[in-house]
Amino acid sequence: MYDDVRLALPDTLDREAIFKRLEKVLDPELDESILGLGFVKSIEVENGHLTIELHLPTYWCAPNFSYMMAEDTRRELLTVGGLHDVTVRLKDHFAARAIEAGVNVGKSFSEAFPDEASENLCQLSDLFLRKGYIRRQERLLQNLKNAGLSFEEIATRCIGDVYFEDESCQIRRNNGQIGNIGAAEVARQYFQRRAEMDLDCSPTAPLIIDLRGREVTAEQLEKYLIRARTVRVSLQANGLFCTAVLAARKGKN
Amino acid sequence: MYRENGDEIFVVDGHMHFWDANPENWRNEYGEGWIRCFYDFHTALSPEEYVWPFEKYCKYGEETLINDLFSEGYVDIAILNSTYLYEFYKNGFNTHQQNNVIKAKYPDRFILCGSFDPRAEEAGLDTFRQMVEDYPIQGIKLYTAEWRNGSKGWRLNDPWAYKYFELAGELGVKNVHVHKGPTVYPLNRDAFDVADVDYAATDFPNLNFIVEHIGLPRLDDFCWIATQEKNVYAGMSVAMAFIHSRPKYFAEIVANLLFWLGEDKMIFGSDYAIWTPKWLIEKFMALELPDDIKEEYGVDLTLEAKRKVLGENAARLYGIDLPTHREKLSQDEIGVKLAQGA
Repeated sequence: MYDDVRLALPDTLDREAIFKRLEKVLDPELDESILGLGFVKSIEVENGHLTIELHLPTYWCAPNFSYMMAEDTRRELLTVGGLHDVTVRLKDHFAARAIEAGVNVGKSFSEAFPDEASENLCQLSDLFLRKGYIRRQERLLQNLKNAGLSFEEIATRCIGDVYFEDESCQIRRNNGQIGNIGAAEVARQYFQRRAEMDLDCSPTAPLIIDLRGREVTAEQLEKYLIRARTVRVSLQANGLFCTAVLAARKGKN
Repeated sequence: MYRENGDEIFVVDGHMHFWDANPENWRNEYGEGWIRCFYDFHTALSPEEYVWPFEKYCKYGEETLINDLFSEGYVDIAILNSTYLYEFYKNGFNTHQQNNVIKAKYPDRFILCGSFDPRAEEAGLDTFRQMVEDYPIQGIKLYTAEWRNGSKGWRLNDPWAYKYFELAGELGVKNVHVHKGPTVYPLNRDAFDVADVDYAATDFPNLNFIVEHIGLPRLDDFCWIATQEKNVYAGMSVAMAFIHSRPKYFAEIVANLLFWLGEDKMIFGSDYAIWTPKWLIEKFMALELPDDIKEEYGVDLTLEAKRKVLGENAARLYGIDLPTHREKLSQDEIGVKLAQGA
């Protein structure tokens, strides 16, 4: 896995731990891990100091999002045992110097770019957290529909009706029977984001709630799903574009 | 003109460039960075046989352009964007003055877009008025993320922008092509954000706002706005390029546009020379929405819809009467050559 990442690590270091951490770092606009997207070019560790090089799809990739990714990368990797420092490098990016200078000493975006940013990135980051929530929820909704659940039935399901069996996901139907609703990953990712957003994740909470935590009724579900589908298509379009452009860029190096 | 089974389809390329990015014109590393990024877009999504060498891509010249659009590319009329980027390119990237050379030579083949930058405030109003007087400006291309004297961008609902929209309306320049992004510098706000289109479109119902690249990477936000505003259109360049490597995905984007905006508000664009119109149009004409997408979205991409997307919608916005214009085109230098070749 992740064969295209150039590694120079001492044997004493747990590389799986590093990858596990990096899997948590998402491109905020795409809601996918930078590792899966192929943004990680190399990782080197010398005397407990890790240097990671990121290669983003374009020279112009938005500095604010780039900053978030670099910052998250450093924060996640600093939790890996045996490392005492982490340096993030951005390859071929027009603002690489400024971003590296800020991120690697632990400055926030607004500290690093005092003239450019009047406030912090939280608002923007929240926006994409929400879009990602809708996208993850849409995947689950499609799986529920494909498993034959009507909107009426979906609207009455609770979190407690969903459980995992190995890598598949099951749901207790309203007739008491158990139905398979596809890969466990889909529901897991949805629940994970739901928790990150501090939405109710208790077993009695409705399975489908909107961004404000409100129940979505059977009557609302059709329209809700149509909108969610467009959010998903938009995020996917970005992801496709970025990965295609990155592949082209790598091919020229 | 695209011809198939006796049907003739009039083609307006809603978004193309005639740029000069040869190294001598680079002002700094950004000039190189800009064109290299475009070149990555080109190589990432073009079919292999349509990929150019980088040198040609930097500066392709008039003959190549005429051939790629009109001789090989089925295009009847092309909308020439003006993008200045003086901070990256010594003589600009493709200014309206540069563009007008080719427009003057083939007046019926090109629609020339001018531009304004509201950060020039009062003085810029006169410059814009003069531009419209001196050049055959029929549309405006706005580039809200362009750098200027330390500023890294502006928004369509800035108070000064409104003064320019008022003037554009007075001068009869009614079509506003808006490019969103790329976000070129640290701005905590989102330069791809399309919310400002909503304000401007509501406040200027006499103008049409063509959002280029369908607001990507904010397709969803763009759809919500375009559904509410009668005068907001989808410029499909960039999204078009998915048609080769990701046809199923392209079909889903089209289904979304058909669902939210409808076939009367979608406008084809190649973004030449990032991509060439020939393969985009051939693949678009051959495209059928897969049954599952048709069923899920309840829409279809009929021949009638393709006709509108490829030409009729843009022609309507620019007040082009198709039969009259076709007659004119058949008699210009390009038209005569095409007829001889046919």
